[in-house]
Amino acid sequence: MELVLANLVNGISFGMILFLIASGLSIVMGLMGIINLAHGALYMVGAYAGWTIAVQWKMNFALAVIVGGIAGALVGLLIERGFLRRLYKQPNEQVLLTFGFVYILSNLVIWIWGGHRRLQFTAPILYGSMEIAGMPFAKDRLAIIAIGAIIAIALWYLQDKTRIGAIVRAGMDDKEMTTGLGINLDFIFTVVFLFAAFIAGCAGVIGAQLIGAYSWLGTDILLYSLIVVVVGGLGSVQGSLLGGLVIGLIDTFGKALFPQFAMFTIYLAMIVILLVKPSGLLGRKS
Amino acid sequence: MTLPNERETSRRSGQSLLIRFTPFIAGALVLCILPALVPTYVRNIWTKFVVFALFASSYDLIYGHTGLLSLGHAAYFGAGGYTVAALMLHYNIDSLWVGLPLGVLVAAFISAIFGFMALRVSGMYFLLVTFAFGELLYSVTWNWKWLSTPGMQGISGLLRPNLGIPGFRWNTINFYYFVLIIFLLCFYLVYRIMNSPFGHALRGIRENEPRMQSLGYNTWLYKYLAFIITGAFAGVAGTLFAYYNRFISPTHVGVVTSFMPMIMVIIGGSGTLLGPVIGALIIVFVEYFSSLFTPERWPLILGALFVAAIMYARGGVGIHLTKLWRKLNYRYGSSKG
Repeated sequence: MELVLANLVNGISFGMILFLIASGLSIVMGLMGIINLAHGALYMVGAYAGWTIAVQWKMNFALAVIVGGIAGALVGLLIERGFLRRLYKQPNEQVLLTFGFVYILSNLVIWIWGGHRRLQFTAPILYGSMEIAGMPFAKDRLAIIAIGAIIAIALWYLQDKTRIGAIVRAGMDDKEMTTGLGINLDFIFTVVFLFAAFIAGCAGVIGAQLIGAYSWLGTDILLYSLIVVVVGGLGSVQGSLLGGLVIGLIDTFGKALFPQFAMFTIYLAMIVILLVKPSGLLGRKS
Repeated sequence: MTLPNERETSRRSGQSLLIRFTPFIAGALVLCILPALVPTYVRNIWTKFVVFALFASSYDLIYGHTGLLSLGHAAYFGAGGYTVAALMLHYNIDSLWVGLPLGVLVAAFISAIFGFMALRVSGMYFLLVTFAFGELLYSVTWNWKWLSTPGMQGISGLLRPNLGIPGFRWNTINFYYFVLIIFLLCFYLVYRIMNSPFGHALRGIRENEPRMQSLGYNTWLYKYLAFIITGAFAGVAGTLFAYYNRFISPTHVGVVTSFMPMIMVIIGGSGTLLGPVIGALIIVFVEYFSSLFTPERWPLILGALFVAAIMYARGGVGIHLTKLWRKLNYRYGSSKG
């Protein structure tokens, strides 16, 4: 029972991290029509920047999360303004370009921070565990779940209840019409891309509590978040959240129950979804 | 595209036919004669270039001609290589006549399964699913102990293929010609496929799929067949690579290797016949020189090259050479014809 519960908490917290990355990936995909393959690399940059703040300089963990987000956003700004913008309306080239940045960023990270793996780190107040209804829970896991839930609610509110959310949804459905209504969609693209990069960078630091940081983290986490997008469906916060939780739980329980086949459980989930409902669990109708 | 009357002219005169094929003949001569004269280490790299030229040509079938951006192409390359390696490791079979056909079959079979599922979705989703399938095969090779020499990740100590000719011994020169012959055979097949009605239909799908559908083509089947064919050719390249490298590891199945044919096709020029070959030449030799000077910065150089190629040399080197050739051909070839 305790084992199940511990795995449940681990699975949900991992799912929350996956949600944070996948939501950015999915919104950029829905709005701009491209997959940002460097999204995982932005996560990695955030994780390393947060490591410098929290471990190397021994500063506040919350500050590390913000700095991680800013680091992700800055790299995102460079990629979007400097490169993606100039390949307007060439989705294949744009995707390939972001793939090039995966290579560049992974190698730069080794150059700056060295090749060895960074262990998980967390804020001192999140050490140890707390008891809820007689069961011990790791505090850092609970913190991840709480942060993830708050961000999920905020994103959902932003998406469904605000003007900017309405503009983004309209942009996903019909770009020309939205532009015709006098909305500067170009500007919205940049804002959304930056926001997604910021969230990815923050997620890097939050997720570092579970995963740590290493130089090929960018591709590993990208793979997970792509599967989340396939399973959850494209272009909505709810889809990414559901997909993230499903994949996080499947992966964690898979690793606990059948360690030899742990890597394959998530692919199995993806293949089932592809065969049964190719648009994903909560995909937007096109 | 060749205009019909231009093609008529070429058919009529053997002389202009000769001119039309001059770049291929020149290329074949360079491929055949040059490697015999260079030092051994250059010949080894040259062999690697030919293997990757085949790999890149196979990728161009699906990317350049069908317009499908597949991110997991190394899966089929690695499948071919691992088949040969597993045959040697577990069954002591090093015969070419078993290894090569079986490697190609396994690669084609895996691409048939993956393609079936990946082609259920289109556009960005296709890309994402092919990427995930590539990484699936990567984690199979990483986790399955059967697919590695004990104590290692990957299979080492592979032999050159056994041709079944008594008294035959491999050296770098005859191995190079062996690779070259298979490459030229496959290259010719790719050329024929691209210029067949099937190849034209694929380009039609790339340009305008709904129109092809309304013309009565079963576009799904065309794409599926193209996916399997490209997987089979990647399998040939992977088999050759296992014979060449004598070591195969999960890296050769994963995203790092999938990246190689993409950058080769982009730099050389997609949708052209010689483009991927030129791209492979550039990348393999840049890799060699950067591994001499800064091996740890190689991914950075590769990424930067890739970004630069997409930003500034879209269409690639191949397309400029093809254009130049067309111009020369038009000026001198058809006037004589």
